[in-house]
Amino acid sequence: MNTVALYIHVPFCVRKCNYCAFYSLPAVGEDTKDAYLEALQKQADSFPEHRQVSSVYFGGGTPSLFGSERLVAMLDFLRTRFLIREDAEITLEVNPGTVDLPFLQRVRQGGFNRLSVGMQSGCDKELAFLGRIHTADMVKTCVENAREAGFDNVSLDLIFALPGQSKESFAASLDAAFALKPDHLSVYSLQLEEGTPFFESRTTLTFPTEEEEEGQYDLLCQKAREAGFEHYEISSFAKEGRYSRHNLHYWQRGEYLGFGPAAHSHWNGKRFANLPDLEGYLADPLGCNDYKKAERIDETEMWEEDVLLGLRTSFGISAHLVPAPPVERMIALGLMVRRGENVALTEKGFRVSNAIIGQLLL
Amino acid sequence: MYDIKKIRNFSIIAHIDHGKSTLADRLLEYTGAVEKRDIEEQLLDNMELERERGITIKARAVRFDYKADDGETYRLNLIDTPGHVDFGYEVSRSLTACEGAVLIVDATQGVQAQTLANAYMAVDNDLEILPVINKIDLPSADPAMAKRAVEDIIGIPAEDAPCISAKMGLNIKDVLEKIVTDVPAPKGDPNKPLKALIFDSYYDSYKGVVVYIRVMDGTLSVGDAVQMMHTGAKFDVVEVGTLGAFTLDKKDCLRAGEVGYFTASIKNIGDTTVGDTVTLAENPTPEALPGFKKAQPMVFSGIYPADGSKYGDLKDALEKLQLNDASLVFEPETSIALGFGFRAGFLGLLHMEIIDERLEREFNLDLITTAPSVIYELVLTDGETIHVDNPSNYPDPQRISEAREPIVKASIITPTEYVGSVMQFCLDRRGTYIDMKYLDTTRAELIYEMPLNEIVYDFFDTLKSKTKGYASLDYEPIGYRKSDLVKLDILLNGELIDALSFIVHADRAYSRGRKIVEKLRDNIPRQLFELPVQAAIGGKVIARETVRAMRKDVLAKCYGGDITRKKKLLEKQKEGKKRMRSFGSVQVPSEAFMAVLKMDDES
Repeated sequence: MNTVALYIHVPFCVRKCNYCAFYSLPAVGEDTKDAYLEALQKQADSFPEHRQVSSVYFGGGTPSLFGSERLVAMLDFLRTRFLIREDAEITLEVNPGTVDLPFLQRVRQGGFNRLSVGMQSGCDKELAFLGRIHTADMVKTCVENAREAGFDNVSLDLIFALPGQSKESFAASLDAAFALKPDHLSVYSLQLEEGTPFFESRTTLTFPTEEEEEGQYDLLCQKAREAGFEHYEISSFAKEGRYSRHNLHYWQRGEYLGFGPAAHSHWNGKRFANLPDLEGYLADPLGCNDYKKAERIDETEMWEEDVLLGLRTSFGISAHLVPAPPVERMIALGLMVRRGENVALTEKGFRVSNAIIGQLLL
Repeated sequence: MYDIKKIRNFSIIAHIDHGKSTLADRLLEYTGAVEKRDIEEQLLDNMELERERGITIKARAVRFDYKADDGETYRLNLIDTPGHVDFGYEVSRSLTACEGAVLIVDATQGVQAQTLANAYMAVDNDLEILPVINKIDLPSADPAMAKRAVEDIIGIPAEDAPCISAKMGLNIKDVLEKIVTDVPAPKGDPNKPLKALIFDSYYDSYKGVVVYIRVMDGTLSVGDAVQMMHTGAKFDVVEVGTLGAFTLDKKDCLRAGEVGYFTASIKNIGDTTVGDTVTLAENPTPEALPGFKKAQPMVFSGIYPADGSKYGDLKDALEKLQLNDASLVFEPETSIALGFGFRAGFLGLLHMEIIDERLEREFNLDLITTAPSVIYELVLTDGETIHVDNPSNYPDPQRISEAREPIVKASIITPTEYVGSVMQFCLDRRGTYIDMKYLDTTRAELIYEMPLNEIVYDFFDTLKSKTKGYASLDYEPIGYRKSDLVKLDILLNGELIDALSFIVHADRAYSRGRKIVEKLRDNIPRQLFELPVQAAIGGKVIARETVRAMRKDVLAKCYGGDITRKKKLLEKQKEGKKRMRSFGSVQVPSEAFMAVLKMDDES
């Protein structure tokens, strides 16, 4: 695989969600956005190779806040520096509270062909609790507009295992999500991250027990199956092969370049990141990273990465990569399966992947 | 000038915390043997651990001069004694080296169990006992009560006992005068064949073993060929001298009545056993000093590194400790559960704790120590009698015709208000009531015969907590008694975890087994499958708990290709693996064993 994937980070948000620890800043002025576009282009320009690009992902933050013109301009610029393939997957992450039909039409025309909609929940109370700026109705409108604008590949993000969330309430969110007929679904359990409002108030919140979380997870698997989705990755479900090609590229140890502060790259045998510092990035988009410090990935690490990333997908990894006895034990426990020459985690195995991977690698 | 009539050899007897070290410091200070500023807290206890716990572990000795009111200058040798029940034999040898003992009695608390035990020992050794009432500076001090207690309980006159405050330096001179006037000068003849008592020794990496002795008869000089009468080892004396507060002071010889040291390029501390008699190889004394005993370990346990790769470090550390502590014995042991480690024998529980703490503190080791065991005596069906200190070697019950366990006579001194709960506690611990004496209006001494295995199982700490810290304990072994013993095994996932097996009285097996499986249930992290935890006797399961299977672990997001968390998690797992013990597919962290083996409960 010689193609490369591109990730563009847009670190702007209307407001920070209560659970989110990603690098982002409150909305900034138009000047800063212009300056940011320029800096992104400068960084992209520093990679002169005309490598083939199989996928591009604009994430955040809230990329929709960057404005459709800048998004399209950035994509156009990337086309001048890289050979973005005709069939490349070009994803834009949107907050349903920030986009309207003209915006979506503009980015669709500009070449974006996949939309990742931050739905998070189908329940307004939960959305408010999470600190989201949108309602469930706005999600519905957003998806309808996306379809009208010509997006035939729409993914929804959901969060579960919220403090106080009942199984019924999560079931209702799932039903609402499937009713929007998405092509893809990403579902994460809520993680308590340091530096977030949830973390600060953690002692007053009641988080679900392992058993409750398991119950919600089982419900998710069951409903996704009934809706005709394939559970092809730990937290991702796809209809009719509509896998997130960009994410699969990560799990297959493909190379990727990340532009913008806090964006990660895997390039030239190294993994490195831009520093989470917008000012610094604007001042010096080429120097604001830890590339020089990063160690070249050695063979042991490559092997570990192959296993721990590959096992995130239902396609699994070559059986030769891991010792047979623990694999046999996992198979006997229903946590793994053989798929031809490969071994992979089952849905039951996805649940406890850390522990399984730990046993296979150590 | 050597003048045997001007020598006074004495020791100080006190209960823990009752001011022994402080008084020693004051005596040295008063006589000018040390400057006040040189005193680092308590001079005689120079191990860090001892200072922290306020107890003396090893004996030490120091010589100093005192110009008495009669105008004469006296040579005083203070021989310190270890202040704990585990070191009774060492105490008795130190006392044998003296003609007198200063008995410190706390003016606020009166006589305590160890004071009493050591005072009796001093009486048995024909020592002149000088009671001293300490802590008279405290508002609650009642010197008259303390004096009466000495007279009533120990049966020695205390009317003239100096009333002092070692802490404040009050009336220290009275003590010195008493020593000079009341402690007899040593007897002995410097011209007889050499007869010297070893009362302590330690290893020095330059000189080899430094042996502390009291010369009873004869003279020991540099260049003498000496022989240890019990071990038979022979050495050429390199250096002799007396003991300064901080230094070894070289001399040409040591003569009858004197206390000092010698070195002889001795590599093995086992050759210089406490209580042995040193004599001249060419001109030996006809008979050795009485009372020699080889140190007998009473308590045994397995010691394993929490991180299996630290086995070599543990071995080095044990060897280093043994250089200074011949009573520590150990041999390699392999456990299926814990891997490579050592089976170590200790004089008692405190000794075990001290070794454990020194290994962890001075050598930076993280240890798993198995439940302490005592030596059981088993008569087999074929008539053979065997001794077992390791549950792993406990034979099939079918082969045992009679099991016996060691019994001790325990003396507990407690404030009278706790007598009821102490008696109940002793009964719970299978004690047999022997006697009770009221020492005074506030305190009683209880005598029980108790199985030693109950004493080693958290007895002292529980006793302390039941009496708000006031009770004191002393015990001595009195032999073996027939007992209904069983070996209790712990099984994880049906597999026997050898390191958790222990021997217990049948009546207590269920409650102990129950407690252990519950602790394991709470401390073993969830596995990928349901894990049964069982306690069993023979093949019969008496208690069972289940560690539930892991349901869901935390999934690190890899947003935007950021897999650093995933990799950090793996590194953490690798770190954890080092402290993980595997049994088939079960992984148990060392911490779970530590939690289970830590005896912090009452039962």
